[in-house]
Amino acid sequence: MSLAIIDAREWQNVFDLRTGAKIVEESPLLGMVREVQARRPYPGDMDSSGNRWVSDTALDLMNRYDPSFVFLTYAQQFFSGRYSIQTEKEWGDAITDLYREVERFINLSGFTPVIVGTGDMTPFVDFIDVTQLKGLVLATHWSARYAGLHEPSSGDLKYLDAHSGIERIVHRDDFLRLFAESSGDRSRVPEYLLVAKEGYMFRTVGGAFRRVRRVPAQSFFIPVATEMGEVSTITGIRGLIDSGIGKRKIALIMVEGIGLRDFPWASQRCDNGREWFYHEPGDGQYLTISTGRHQLFDYPTGYKYFEEDAEKKEFPFSGYFRSVPEDTLAERYDVRSISVGNRSMFMHMATGTDISIECFARNLFNQGTMAVIHRMNKI
Amino acid sequence: MRCNYCEWRCELAGGDFGVCRMYIEDGGAIKERFPHSWSSCIPSRIESIPFYHVWPGSRSLVIGTCGCNFSCRYCSNGFVAKEDPGLVFDGMITLTPAELVRKARQMGCHNIVFNVNEPAMSFPTLVELAEVAGGAGIPMGCLTNAYTTEESTELLASIFSFFNVGLKGLSAGFNREYLGIPSAGPVLRNIRRLAATAHVEITTPVIELANDNELDEIARFIADVDPEIPWHVFRLLPEHEMKEARYPDIDAIDRALRSARKLLPYVYFHNFVGSDWVNTICPGCGATVIERFSLGCGGDRLHSFNCDGTVCPDCRREIRLHGVKVAWNAGEVRP
Ligand SMILES: [Zn+2]
Repeated sequence: MSLAIIDAREWQNVFDLRTGAKIVEESPLLGMVREVQARRPYPGDMDSSGNRWVSDTALDLMNRYDPSFVFLTYAQQFFSGRYSIQTEKEWGDAITDLYREVERFINLSGFTPVIVGTGDMTPFVDFIDVTQLKGLVLATHWSARYAGLHEPSSGDLKYLDAHSGIERIVHRDDFLRLFAESSGDRSRVPEYLLVAKEGYMFRTVGGAFRRVRRVPAQSFFIPVATEMGEVSTITGIRGLIDSGIGKRKIALIMVEGIGLRDFPWASQRCDNGREWFYHEPGDGQYLTISTGRHQLFDYPTGYKYFEEDAEKKEFPFSGYFRSVPEDTLAERYDVRSISVGNRSMFMHMATGTDISIECFARNLFNQGTMAVIHRMNKI
Repeated sequence: MRCNYCEWRCELAGGDFGVCRMYIEDGGAIKERFPHSWSSCIPSRIESIPFYHVWPGSRSLVIGTCGCNFSCRYCSNGFVAKEDPGLVFDGMITLTPAELVRKARQMGCHNIVFNVNEPAMSFPTLVELAEVAGGAGIPMGCLTNAYTTEESTELLASIFSFFNVGLKGLSAGFNREYLGIPSAGPVLRNIRRLAATAHVEITTPVIELANDNELDEIARFIADVDPEIPWHVFRLLPEHEMKEARYPDIDAIDRALRSARKLLPYVYFHNFVGSDWVNTICPGCGATVIERFSLGCGGDRLHSFNCDGTVCPDCRREIRLHGVKVAWNAGEVRP
């Protein structure tokens, strides 16, 4: 059983990750993780010390658990770039701060880093208004490029075809064909995938209305900084890390909102998709890196996520995840592993590490932190 | 010309927009500046809004506009409620009542709930929406601070059939300092009025050292109106101007609610992950008749509904419910 420990500030509870049932359990490992959480309250998505929290929490946990593999995500610049940073100078400063923070972690830990940029950000240009369509358009608000279109009328398709912000409209069959090897329940994939040009975002019913300043930029390639070997594709990062595990201590470090343009380390260029498709920062990209296979159809863009939100849904702390994904990066490692991140709540699902600690934030509201312990048998 | 929608009764002469900045005088009438413009239109579990005693398990379409007539120091929706509506407007969507009802159907929603900001900021639009929604058999509810005038409270009661009223504090000092209004008098008056004909739940966010000393008095007020009114006590997340404040102590608030629980059978304490105080206990026999799960901040969900219709399965006592359980996907319309 995987345990979820929620720290809601001065108040902790332990749950069964799958059922959400409260659990009364004590063990030295559990106690250690609870203490780390109590010592490291999350400062908030928009707080300037959000990235420092990632390093400090990871180092604290590493001191006590002695892992050989660490999976980190630094996302504070992604949130502030998205919602508040307005000038190029401020954005440059945010990248400098990120660089210093990651270097500080590498120096203090002594781990061999593999640093991956998830893609650049670009100023928001305009909305593609799809609220007036007869059909239903759904998108996660983190996505700029993609939206799912359900039950369109011919008028809808005409309108979209003529819209200057639309790059292409892809029929589900063509999307499925492009990633024929990708697993997942294909029935969830919407009839059409709408693809926006760079800088555009879909204005859907159901949008969140914090004013967005920057959105994910066109990222057919992403940067990877590593001295462990050559890598040319997003699905190759997994093999690179697998080959080093057991030989040295490795830190896979994801830096959100940074791509080839802004990446402050010497890097190799990795493809980040296929033909017209590239991954935007988010759980699909993480799962692709983690499993070494493109993961697109388990929770496809624009599917009717709300239909599966019924009572007694399993994994209540894990957003729309219905199960723990299989064959993730650290799942089969014999060595100890941890992950820490401030992007959102999919680290514990996407990394496969023994222990993860992530911020528990909903729409930027800071609810505290969540730790997940997937296994206790390595101490 | 005065706007009589809320207790501020703002004078809107000379192009003034009033406290909420949502109305304007035009040709001898008070008109909305942004009719049929929505800041939110999203499916949600009704428990997460929160309504605990209204069609449990149902899917609501949560709608909102912008503008507010309070200036709460801790506002969690400040980015919509407290922004200048003229600025937010850019990010809003425009849907006629018929289109909005169609979207509710398309997304399988059983009811429509106005949330995010104050319904009093968008009265004419909501009157029109209620007409179309009513014709389509879709019930409407809202969250409100109930700072409406007597006449517009009647309007609220004609639009919505279920309410969650924010009763944030009683003392004039608290109302002035934390909410920016002179007194809670109109709110108390309107709770009595709405509870007389509609389903009412009440929500009180607790701020330590500011209104936690008023919990007993608020409970006595609710008991006097109707002891069966469900009361949601919220652990407030410090947001907006109070971002730096400390997080309220959960155990201390739980202890402070002891005497309230003797007066009121349906006291809930939540807005934080994993709350132990979100289930409905039968006041007759103590059986757990509705179980819920709290994820904090708009994440509550029904876990299991054990009532037999609207009565306790064990002792047959009537449980206060506005509508019985609705299956989550009951509203799905498949082509
Ligand atoms: Zn009973």
